[in-house]
Amino acid sequence: MAEHGRDVEDGEPSATPDPQKDTPAEEAADTAEIPGSAATTEPESDPEPKPESEPESEPESEPETDAPAATPPRRTSRTRGTLAVIVSGFGELLITAGVILALFVVYSLWWTNVVANREADRKSEKVRDNWARDRGGSEGPGERALKEGIGFLRVPSMSDDDILVTKGTATKELNHGTAGYYTKPVKSALPWDQSGNFALAAHRDGHGAKFHDIDKIEKGDPVVFETKNTWYVYKVYKTLPKTSKYNVDVLKEIPEVSGKKEAGRYITLTTCTPVYTSKHRYIVWGELVRTESVDAERTLPKEIR
Amino acid sequence: MYGWIWRHLPGNAYVRALLSLVLALGVVYVLFQYVFPWAEPLLPFNDVTVDDGGESGVG
Repeated sequence: MAEHGRDVEDGEPSATPDPQKDTPAEEAADTAEIPGSAATTEPESDPEPKPESEPESEPESEPETDAPAATPPRRTSRTRGTLAVIVSGFGELLITAGVILALFVVYSLWWTNVVANREADRKSEKVRDNWARDRGGSEGPGERALKEGIGFLRVPSMSDDDILVTKGTATKELNHGTAGYYTKPVKSALPWDQSGNFALAAHRDGHGAKFHDIDKIEKGDPVVFETKNTWYVYKVYKTLPKTSKYNVDVLKEIPEVSGKKEAGRYITLTTCTPVYTSKHRYIVWGELVRTESVDAERTLPKEIR
Repeated sequence: MYGWIWRHLPGNAYVRALLSLVLALGVVYVLFQYVFPWAEPLLPFNDVTVDDGGESGVG
């Protein structure tokens, strides 16, 4: 912006030479203005001095004709000046709008990730701290831990991160760089429920972009959910690269859309597609293969080792 | 607009350049901290959930 300021500052002293190399259209408008203004001033001043003193006015007429010739350029430079101010002001507004839009892209694709990842790291650390403190306590994550996050999702084919999963899929919650399990329109089951569909959503771009590479997940890939005491190992059995954003059937307890007919322990990942838009939804379904108790070193299950 | 700001900044060219930079950074801060977070939910780029269409802003 400093440069803008300097440009205009430089333009200020050169404002007088500038009009000389103006656009032809503008010049044409100016030349058209000169006879017009001369015509309005001359007939008014000429008829009056003529009858009064014809001979005297003749020598004076020369400076008089000079004077109107001198004044119009001053006037046109002033109109040119205001025109230049308006045009340059409009141009500056356009440049500013462009810069703001570019900044918005930077914000949504980079800065929101920075903020969200920082927040997700902080929250994850808190959850892990709680787990470490309650180690050997009751089965399943404790009530306090449930509020912070129920556990971590690990999908090596999609991301190297362990993605914290929290309750709810409202924008406000997902913007923390976490994944959320659905509470509406369908209430998601949780991994330790005897049957049901554990349905998750996370951002594809910005705000951590935890599901950015969801398209890298293929049939047969492992999806592991880590809680305080248990690894839940799922296996992807179907992906749906594009569906309507109103297709809530994908979240059903028995996701018939994916071809399942019987109750079971399913996991569903949802996010938006194609990347950088929210036009459609990308769905990945998995089914629980086995569970494994977490040991003291929290050794990863063999599927994702 | 920018010319007007430049002419009203005190000091010589270096001081003005520095002040302009500070002003620009301030504007970027305000945009990133307040304006963009406010504008983002109003734009349809970040809805990731499936829903029945009843609730908007679920993302």
